[in-house]
Amino acid sequence: METKSTSSFTNLVDQSVCPGDVVLDLSKMINQTIKLGGGLRQDCDAISVMKAGRLRFSKPHKYWVENSQKRYVPYAEDSVLGIVVDSRSDNFLVDIKGPTLAFLPVLAFEGGTRRNIPRFEIGTLIYVRVIKANPGMNPELSCTDASGKAAEFGALKDGYMFECTTGQSRMLLSSPTCPVLDALGKKLSFEIAVGLNGRVWVDAASPHTTIVVANAIMNSETLSGAQQRIMVEKLLQRIQ
Amino acid sequence: METDRPDGRTPNQLRPLAYSCSILHRAHGSASWAQGETKVLAAVYGPKAGTKKNENPEKASIEVIWKPKTGQIGKMEKEYEMILKRTLESICIRTIYPNTTTSVIVQVVHDDGALLPCAINAACAALVDAGIPLKHLAVAICCSVTDSGCIILDPTKDEEERSLQVGSEPMENGIMTSVTQGAMSVNDYLHCLERGRAACASLSEFVRKNIGTKSTSEPSKAG
Repeated sequence: METKSTSSFTNLVDQSVCPGDVVLDLSKMINQTIKLGGGLRQDCDAISVMKAGRLRFSKPHKYWVENSQKRYVPYAEDSVLGIVVDSRSDNFLVDIKGPTLAFLPVLAFEGGTRRNIPRFEIGTLIYVRVIKANPGMNPELSCTDASGKAAEFGALKDGYMFECTTGQSRMLLSSPTCPVLDALGKKLSFEIAVGLNGRVWVDAASPHTTIVVANAIMNSETLSGAQQRIMVEKLLQRIQ
Repeated sequence: METDRPDGRTPNQLRPLAYSCSILHRAHGSASWAQGETKVLAAVYGPKAGTKKNENPEKASIEVIWKPKTGQIGKMEKEYEMILKRTLESICIRTIYPNTTTSVIVQVVHDDGALLPCAINAACAALVDAGIPLKHLAVAICCSVTDSGCIILDPTKDEEERSLQVGSEPMENGIMTSVTQGAMSVNDYLHCLERGRAACASLSEFVRKNIGTKSTSEPSKAG
């Protein structure tokens, strides 16, 4: 029985799945605990797919669907790039490309007090952490990590921000370092911030370098690792 | 009795299908669906904050905007919008994003018959491209009954006289939407459903095969 249930989900792991596909039948499993990630849902005894993508499995019992889309779905503990769209007495309203605007409390900064509220112009780009993302509520953000330190969060000045898909931002943040960033880092000096909501910020000493890095990242979406390195090398040859 | 069709197709033969997704830069999801000369382009925006008119505190609402190729929106276009909205509402999981609105814009590029099934297929593909949570996929087909009582699939505009459009889901082979024009007997209707269901199975295989591959994936400037 366990062998059969094992073989049933093994067939679909790392395969492309469509909405409506049943990936697991709970009535055939015996006392197993499974964790469902994004893109899956439970419908009575069946675990079915909600979004088209690739089904992934992580030992011992985590399942999720890896997909790439332009719209961001807020989850807790994500690091995202937000744009300040309004300022209220208690909160900044921040656009993180989600269904609703997010709230950034004025006290959610390192050393933040009532007398020390930071000033953000409308349109400021900030690197924030999502701390609450419940359905039906506006997400809540913070500019500190879990221990209260500012770490890498805060406003990003200068530079250039462009948008990509959520799949590509996950690729840029993956470890080991993704090939396009690795190849660029060998030749150029730049600073980069990647948000899981599909926004990327790049800054360098000269606008020329910033544009090269941004174009290389934008072009690398559909390329494999080796192709990314080749593309970066050609790009760098062209500009020298 | 075999019916001679102007383009040489057999009664059960569909016109060539063409499908591509992620073709629009600004839309969160987009898809183009063509069957022969009929072509429809669908774009999805959202989920985004709901307006006062569309907002529902328990479910996401879906708004469908139909853009004809020429002329103003008339009663026929309004009916198409309503049919498309009901069909998409039945396949979306709407409880995940309450208080939001998802806009689906359907642009008719060319109409050579079987327009509504083409629009349904394009809209479903665009929803998948946008990452909207769906219960299952939906595919649609058009059947026509000729004067001699022969049933043909995927009619062109010249062949469209008494037509039946069936939207079905591949999982349970259920019927979500059925629209008829003209008059036909009960037996003809049931035969059309059988033929439509078989054709939807092959359409579903086509969609499933192509849905994973994206032609281009460009960032969105919307939202």
